[in-house]
Amino acid sequence: MKVFFTLVFIVFSSTVFATEQAQTIFAQLTPALYQIKLIDKASGEKSSIGSAFQISKDGIIATNYHVISSYARNPEKYRIEYLDYQGNTAQVTLMSVDVINDLALVKRVVNADMPYFRLAKSPPIKGEKLFALGNPHDLGMIVVPGTYNGLKKESFNERIHFTGAINSGMSGGPVVNKDEQVVGINVATSGNQIGFLVPHDKLVTLFTDYKSSVQNRNTHNLPANIKQQMTTQLFTNQNKLMTTLLNSPWPSKALANKAMIPIIEVPFIRCWGDSNADKTDALILSAIARCSLDENTYLSSHFFTGSIEIEFSYMQAKSLSNNKFYHLYQKHIARASSGNRAGKNDVSEYQCHHDVVTPSSTANTAQTITNKSVFCTRAYQDFPGLFDVLYLGASIDKNQQALVSHFTLAGVSQENAMKFTGKFMEAVSWK
Amino acid sequence: MEISATTNDNISESSPSYATKTTAEISSNDNLPIAQAEIIIEEITRNHKLLHRHKLTQDNICIGRGYQNDIILADPHVCPEHLSLSYADNTWRIHDKNSINGTVLEKSRGKKQKADQQIVNDGDVLILGKSQLRLLFTDHQVASTVAFSPFESLIDFIRHPVAVFISIALFMLIAGNISYLNQPTETNISQLFVGAFSMSLLFALWPIGVALMSHITKHDPRILAQLGISFNFFILMWLTDFTEEIIAFNSASHSILGYLIALVPIALTFSLLWLNSYIGFHVGAKRRVLVALSITILLFGGTYLLEYSKKPEFNPHPQYNTVLMAPHYLLAPTNTVENFLTQSNALFEQANKAAQRH
Repeated sequence: MKVFFTLVFIVFSSTVFATEQAQTIFAQLTPALYQIKLIDKASGEKSSIGSAFQISKDGIIATNYHVISSYARNPEKYRIEYLDYQGNTAQVTLMSVDVINDLALVKRVVNADMPYFRLAKSPPIKGEKLFALGNPHDLGMIVVPGTYNGLKKESFNERIHFTGAINSGMSGGPVVNKDEQVVGINVATSGNQIGFLVPHDKLVTLFTDYKSSVQNRNTHNLPANIKQQMTTQLFTNQNKLMTTLLNSPWPSKALANKAMIPIIEVPFIRCWGDSNADKTDALILSAIARCSLDENTYLSSHFFTGSIEIEFSYMQAKSLSNNKFYHLYQKHIARASSGNRAGKNDVSEYQCHHDVVTPSSTANTAQTITNKSVFCTRAYQDFPGLFDVLYLGASIDKNQQALVSHFTLAGVSQENAMKFTGKFMEAVSWK
Repeated sequence: MEISATTNDNISESSPSYATKTTAEISSNDNLPIAQAEIIIEEITRNHKLLHRHKLTQDNICIGRGYQNDIILADPHVCPEHLSLSYADNTWRIHDKNSINGTVLEKSRGKKQKADQQIVNDGDVLILGKSQLRLLFTDHQVASTVAFSPFESLIDFIRHPVAVFISIALFMLIAGNISYLNQPTETNISQLFVGAFSMSLLFALWPIGVALMSHITKHDPRILAQLGISFNFFILMWLTDFTEEIIAFNSASHSILGYLIALVPIALTFSLLWLNSYIGFHVGAKRRVLVALSITILLFGGTYLLEYSKKPEFNPHPQYNTVLMAPHYLLAPTNTVENFLTQSNALFEQANKAAQRH
């Protein structure tokens, strides 16, 4: 009982301390905190909200790209407004975006120098206490204490793992250390106290680039330039990702002890497996290995890019005629679809090509595979030079066994897509 | 008979009065050259389909609803003593007996006029009440003889009960095999048989329907021939499907052979319809082609329109050829990765074009 009381006391006292600290932070930084609203021009009502914070005395405000994405994609339909702690509202201008790290800079008109958030010089240390600020569900500005838990493992684009409740509406809000310096920006949550932040150095880079471009050109960033900026960022990022993938080792691994499949050795691609070995009444035994990049780039609420999916499935007939096996196998490959969401205003329809292909050299050249190969691609409308591609190879050289090798890449260049496809096709074989 | 007809003409031209006299006097004697009153009266439907044919050799013909008439019509709109035709001076003349609904004479060119006191020409049609009578003379030109076409012997072979039985059995075998291949779970023979049997019943509705149609339109139904022909074509359709699959499996996208084979079902449908009509209906060659062609266009055009209207404005899913067949169906040489990639490269340009259209 004594132990229990002690425990409760410790917990209680630490909470009190955290709350006090949070209150101080909140009081000092409130004037530089904003709610960002996207107003639909036709209806005059807000269509989405998020949080934001000022990072310069002359009115530059940082937020998430996804908060203002509708404006970036459709500047004619929306306008962006801020709401400050005193309830004042005014329009802001979109200046710059970093679509890969989900950041955006907007500018408000200021009459005099204003208080603003300082960006930290160095990343926090693991276990450090941090405070997330934002306006969850339009309920008013709040402070959420939490802990820095390092960078998210297995991610291609870095994210901070933050233990603390981040809710929707807090997106774009700053996360500060006890010295009131910004160390991250709220961006996503996995529920149950797991939150993700954009590391502050991404914002530092975006802000520095912005300042230098203003010095050089001294012009407004027009919506057309934003689109151009996004295209460049998407293009650079896919180049970085695909180069990493193509230059990483692709060791072969056996699937169901019958087929050889490549596993790309990079930490951010993770694999999962499944089989129907427990279903005794199934006519076909199947084993599936699925690998994917668990992150994607948000372009708008119906348009994501940057994802990668790789899937292999091995099938073996239990007691079927060859014809029936192939008939059921055909149904299995009929529904391959894209790995990312995109609508008719974002991409073209898929263009497909198919043929029967035997690679001259494979991972296991003695056991080459003959595939019916299907290659499909669709082009991005607003980001020229970027494509979604889909490949599907269905083995047709064994009577009672089949191997389907399949991948989808989202938002890649033609050159990278073809390099990846070629390497992939030659990496699959029978064992 | 030919001689007497020529004599008839000669006589009628030179002395018509003599002809009338002799007809009455020696109507019982066939040996003498006479200008005999002879007329063919056909009861026809409004669509000019033949119901009854009467050949009369008397110079006064009474037509009406009463039983004393030479031609008795059951039409309630016809008077008991409606009209009479009389032969005099080598011509037939109509006498309307003050009938209530009157009589109309329709000339072969489609001109209509009151029939009373009119002279009859070959091929004229009398309209009395709701009945129609076509009047023809013995020298009426008939269409030339239709020679047996090579199809006759084929149809004779196909309509043989054993042949029909074999066709239907083959059809059921294919239907059973297809449902066996598509069944994702274990199947048993009786399930497959029931499926195949109901499938063949369903498909038999077409030839039975055609036979029924020809029966209704006063033609010979020839149901066995219709069944035999139809089922043989259904089997051919399936064979075409199968060939199409093999071609799709063996060839890359956009192969010419793939496009060509897609035309075969259309040609088969046209042939089936043409043969259905050939067996079931006596119509002119041009009309038969026209009817078969129209139904084919209606069927395929309708299907195409239906698919086109169902097509979504934007399809987020890729549409690709999925045909997979067991290894022994692979006949063509396989391609290399390099070639495949080169050919796939062309898709990017297409996709760019498609993206710019918006």
